[in-house]
Amino acid sequence: MLAIVAVGLVVVLLRLWVLQVVQGPRWRSAAENNRLRRIPLEAPRGMVKDVHGEVILDNRPAYQLLLFPEEMSDSVRTAAFLTRIGIAPADEVRARLEKAGRTSHLPSVIADNLAWSQVASIAAHRAEFHELEIHPATRRSLPPGATVAHLVGQLGEVSPEQLVENPNLRPGQLVGRSGLERAYQEVLGGIPGNLVVVVDALGKQVSALDEEPPVAGRPLGVTIDLALQREAVEGMAGQVGAVVALDPRDGAVRVLLSQPAFDPDLFAGHLEPARWQELTSDPLDPLHNRAMQALYPPGSTIKPLFAAGALRDGVRTLSDTVYCTGAVTIYGHPYRCWMAGGHGRMALEQAIEASCDTYFYYTARDAGIDRLASWARTFGFGTPTGIELGGENSGLVPDDAWSRRVRGQPWYGGETISVGIGQGPILVTPIQLAVAYAALVNGGDLVQPHLVPGRGGAPRPTGLPAEALAHVRRGMEMVVAGDRGTARRLGNLPVRLAGKTGTSQVMRKKEGVKWYELPWEQRHHALFVGYAPLDKPELLVCVVVEHGGDAASVAAPIAARILLRAFGPQVKPGEVAAAVPPIWQNTSLPPPPAPKGQTSGPGDTLPSAAAVEPARSSSHAAARPVAQPGRPMQEPPTQ
Amino acid sequence: MRRLDPWLLLSVLAISACAYLAQGSTARALAAPGFAHRQLVWLAVGVTLLLLVSFADYRVLARFSPLLYVVSIAVLLALFAIAPLRGGTRAWIAIGSYTVQPSEFARVVTILGVAALAEEYRQSRLNFAAVWRITAVVAAPALLVLLQPDLGMALTFVPVLLAALWLGGLRWRAWIAVVLGGAVFVAAAWMWFLKPYQRERVLTFADPQRAPYSSGYQQRQSKIAVGSGEITGKGLHSGTQSQLRFLPAQYTDFIFAVWAEETGFVGAAFLLAAYALLVVRIFVVALAARDRVGAVFAGCAGFVMSTAILINMGMVTGIAPTTGITLPLLSYGGSSVLATCITLGIVQSIWRLRFANV
Repeated sequence: MLAIVAVGLVVVLLRLWVLQVVQGPRWRSAAENNRLRRIPLEAPRGMVKDVHGEVILDNRPAYQLLLFPEEMSDSVRTAAFLTRIGIAPADEVRARLEKAGRTSHLPSVIADNLAWSQVASIAAHRAEFHELEIHPATRRSLPPGATVAHLVGQLGEVSPEQLVENPNLRPGQLVGRSGLERAYQEVLGGIPGNLVVVVDALGKQVSALDEEPPVAGRPLGVTIDLALQREAVEGMAGQVGAVVALDPRDGAVRVLLSQPAFDPDLFAGHLEPARWQELTSDPLDPLHNRAMQALYPPGSTIKPLFAAGALRDGVRTLSDTVYCTGAVTIYGHPYRCWMAGGHGRMALEQAIEASCDTYFYYTARDAGIDRLASWARTFGFGTPTGIELGGENSGLVPDDAWSRRVRGQPWYGGETISVGIGQGPILVTPIQLAVAYAALVNGGDLVQPHLVPGRGGAPRPTGLPAEALAHVRRGMEMVVAGDRGTARRLGNLPVRLAGKTGTSQVMRKKEGVKWYELPWEQRHHALFVGYAPLDKPELLVCVVVEHGGDAASVAAPIAARILLRAFGPQVKPGEVAAAVPPIWQNTSLPPPPAPKGQTSGPGDTLPSAAAVEPARSSSHAAARPVAQPGRPMQEPPTQ
Repeated sequence: MRRLDPWLLLSVLAISACAYLAQGSTARALAAPGFAHRQLVWLAVGVTLLLLVSFADYRVLARFSPLLYVVSIAVLLALFAIAPLRGGTRAWIAIGSYTVQPSEFARVVTILGVAALAEEYRQSRLNFAAVWRITAVVAAPALLVLLQPDLGMALTFVPVLLAALWLGGLRWRAWIAVVLGGAVFVAAAWMWFLKPYQRERVLTFADPQRAPYSSGYQQRQSKIAVGSGEITGKGLHSGTQSQLRFLPAQYTDFIFAVWAEETGFVGAAFLLAAYALLVVRIFVVALAARDRVGAVFAGCAGFVMSTAILINMGMVTGIAPTTGITLPLLSYGGSSVLATCITLGIVQSIWRLRFANV
């Protein structure tokens, strides 16, 4: 018996040795984890200002509702109260209370961004609901509103991967998910602090041990010009599309707009799942940043770029001419110029001015698809521009190799002709188009668009001869100033502009049907790239209006507004602005339809249709190969 | 006085000192300073009682054991009628402002009764009838305690029976019968007597992940407390596990965890050594006893105390399930301290009279 007891005592002694001496440090840290709790202290995020110092993004005070689960006596009553004051629907409130209860002793945020009336109600019922506490916090605010929603981007809860990568992040912290918030998370985010407190077994705070104060995010100055951004919004007048404006000399972005936008306040705090569902199921996809993610066929806006390439490679000289009769036959297929009667004899500059399709059909034929693709790549198409905001689309530059790889068949020569006028499989983003044009007008350098001064890096020379570029620019000046210019309606503005129209085809054009008689989603995209001043361009604007129908009357006036705002006569307080021709109040055109509204079908006649035929319409549907019997038409992509 | 065993006294005093310090620490954690002072009073009264009893003749006590036994049974029966329900059991009665746990004293009387019974069979090995008589003597109070219900206390009667049968001398075939009978009884208890929470405790010990926040939680907090004491401990009144009340039942079942956390391996080993000395001295007394009464009494007392110490410390260090068995002298409780001291007093009496020729 004594032996058994002795063995037992030795076993206990060995056990003590193992626990206290061998495993001691491990149990020590377990004891520390028991008693120490880190309460994260949120770091205020940095503000963002535009080029003139106007605030784009700031913080505003907001109130959060905290729940202390162990103080809750009757969760049904609490849920009923929270539902009554409109925190959320009944099941949502119940779900949140349940979730909060599972984390037991720690308070958790059950509502963000309380309204004043809710704060007042909760304060008035403080005596009944000890478990509720109103906690002052901050929330992102965008003084310019939805105008800058895509630029600023969204916040979201930090992902587990990010937590592993960056030790400064805390679980549950809000970090930038897109836009500037993500690109400059390091600058704007700051470093959250910690309050280390000693808690007892019931989770009650016994004392504070240590405080690491949070480091606030730093302010960020960006190249955006809010005045121009607002001008773009007004010009777009609710139409779907994108506007990009940049300084062609260095790539500093002045305007970055995508429409429709989302309500930025939805993402300022923790997003409710129902609202997320609503946003993602919208057919117009307001979360899509069209300025850098949407792909469009460039249409006629590609013509100056190919002209420059053709001059460089000797495919065309300045004196080469083409006679446009309104239709040509290449590879046995007929192709039409948008000008039904034909342009007559055209040289390069004139072909740009009048946007003659025939000239570029022949140029495309003579160059071949691989050369067209190399010209497109020279201007940066097919690769992201490198703007700081992530998620950029590369676009598509088709060639024979692409066709074999993706479609499994060799390139079809007829498509080369379509690509020659920016149709067919060639796809670009608005910001790529802006960068390409910047190279045309800044002497041949590909700039990297950027939002923070100095982040553009060195421009990459395209090697295009200055003389060729000068001729192309001459052509683009004639687009506005020339008698046959497609944007000649902008010719008598107080600021001299240049640019190029483009109408990219969404659907096969119907004979004898005006663009404004088509339903909205069948209309062509309207594009315009313009710049000023002519001798030394400082601002370049690229406008894409989805299903805008007509470039000259829909897209060009928007670009003109922005350029006019930048370089037009400055109005001093008390003065009356000089009258500007109402280019964007063209009463002869039907108002742009609401994007979702059902517009008239092809058979319908608008009441004003007979009267609104533009007398000197510059509307030019981009030509496309006429459908061949037996060979299905390849529809140009609609984006 | 010189005839008493100094080592036994010394170990009791050492344990008492540790008990006062540990109780002082947990009293601070629970903001109830009265606990430590009362425990000190009980220990002082207990040691006095120990000395008084040691000068009595244990043989006289053994002769009165049938009477004491009948009184104990009567009191245990009376508890069902007069004891208030406290913590789910009817184990306590109030005398003035004190509460008394009669089962503690009933156990001492049971040991005495078994020892007196053994005297009748000193000439031979235990026969079948003797086994039944001893079993009945132990089982009667044990069952009454089990019905209170106080499982932990009832279990402490099992070592009494085992020690008595061992010391009485049992054939190995009889041991098989005892073990089988015990197994049948345990199985029956599991099926019909154990409350769900008691079953849960045993299952949780086997698989701690089963219920991390109930009894598994208690044992984990206890292991954290003991382990985090490391070699020299966190210092008296500085144990985070006890002071911030992560430790459950820290003045009773888990008092050893408080001591181990604050004094570390050094203090825990010292206390373990004191208990080892105490137990060893009790067994030495059993071997030296002049008669079978003394030998059986000291042997049973030593085995009961050893099992309590081992099971409690095993529970605190996570190698035995949580059974609610307290640590003699260290755990808070006047009845337990006094009953333990009376037992040790009788053991001293056996030692004192080992050569007596009267």
